[in-house]
Amino acid sequence: MSKKILIIEDDLVLQNSLDEFLKAEGFETIVAIDGEIGVQKALTEKPDLILLDIVLPKKSGYEVLQEVKENEKTSRLPIILLTNLGSLSDVEKALGLGATTYLVKADYSLDEITKKIKEILNLK
Amino acid sequence: MLGHKLRKFIVDEFNLRKQADELGVRVWETPSFLFIVMGFVILVAIAGVYFISNNYDSPDVLVISESTVVVILFTIGNFIIRSVDQVTRANKMKTEFISIASHQLKTPIAEINWQIELLLSKFPGGLSEKQQLLIGQIAHSSQKMARLVGDLLDVVRIDQGRLAMTNETLDLCALVAEAITNHRPLAIASGVQLQSVCPVEAAKVLIDKKRMGVVLDNLLSNAIKYTNKGGKVEVFLETKDNLVQVCVRDNGVGIPAKEQSDIFKKFFRSNNSMKSSTDGTGLGLYIAKNILEQSGGKLWFKSLENIGSDFFFSLPVIKN
Repeated sequence: MSKKILIIEDDLVLQNSLDEFLKAEGFETIVAIDGEIGVQKALTEKPDLILLDIVLPKKSGYEVLQEVKENEKTSRLPIILLTNLGSLSDVEKALGLGATTYLVKADYSLDEITKKIKEILNLK
Repeated sequence: MLGHKLRKFIVDEFNLRKQADELGVRVWETPSFLFIVMGFVILVAIAGVYFISNNYDSPDVLVISESTVVVILFTIGNFIIRSVDQVTRANKMKTEFISIASHQLKTPIAEINWQIELLLSKFPGGLSEKQQLLIGQIAHSSQKMARLVGDLLDVVRIDQGRLAMTNETLDLCALVAEAITNHRPLAIASGVQLQSVCPVEAAKVLIDKKRMGVVLDNLLSNAIKYTNKGGKVEVFLETKDNLVQVCVRDNGVGIPAKEQSDIFKKFFRSNNSMKSSTDGTGLGLYIAKNILEQSGGKLWFKSLENIGSDFFFSLPVIKN
């Protein structure tokens, strides 16, 4: 059974690129365009992993991260922060809130992100 | 050596035009100029008060002259404070501008790179070989732009002490091997031999993979760029005590002795490096040094002009 990835990203070009690439790699994907929909889908769609942007409308990535980690049903869900904010304070805050890892979009290719997802989900 | 350093310090310290250019202010607004004026005024004031106290018995004259000196000193002091304040504000604004501009540029860069990658890797059907080659070249240019923007942002973060590292335990031999593979096309295109010697056992280090890639990329691409056709670039890796040491050796143009003390400074490019390649910002070694130091390591070099350079770095080894 293919693993389900929730992509919470408001930039439609980036969201579409991730969506298409992951589908072509055999993943099932769900997308959310803002933080509020992101939290809802994390609870209802039961994804195996979340790709989460930080700067989002309605609820920031940090708020989404906090809510998902505080909910018993989703607290163990691996979350990759995928953003272009890359200062020490951003990384420390994200990891402190329970993010599995932190990747800067402009520094990573879609292939590298996919490899990271497979590594976290223990897939070959 | 010490005499040369002292002379350089004095020349740099009192080169007012150079200082004004660097700080972006007028000559009379530079802190050094105002400091010299302040010193001169103090000397004149001491002499003036001495002269007045010797020639006039009236305490009123003495009070007026001393008050005048105090007012002049306050005025100059105020100029110095305003000048330093102006320079500090300008520097802060410049840093903020680079930070905001670089960050804003990162999103469109990621969009371009990801869409090209998606197109070439998942939907290449219908594209001719020539079209794929051209799109590949666009991708390469965009990656170069991403690297440049990333470098500028990293410099700002280093200066602010906010450079983030996502460290993990990795085998440095594997990272060196990967970097060698990535640089093989550049070496072949430049007619330079590229070789590496790694120990049999893994050398585990705690490092940010992406940032280690930047360090190796800077050292290898510099070595290849500044080595003439037919030359050789070798990478040696060895473990000593609790450290792993890497040496990137080339028999290229080398660094002139008088420029060696500046090599790790921001935006510095040596004269002979600019003759060999116009490409480069002079940020690579500054960033590499800071990444290694922040990871508990260090970076140093030995170089002889027209003979070649050895760049070394070391990192603590993680046991098991």
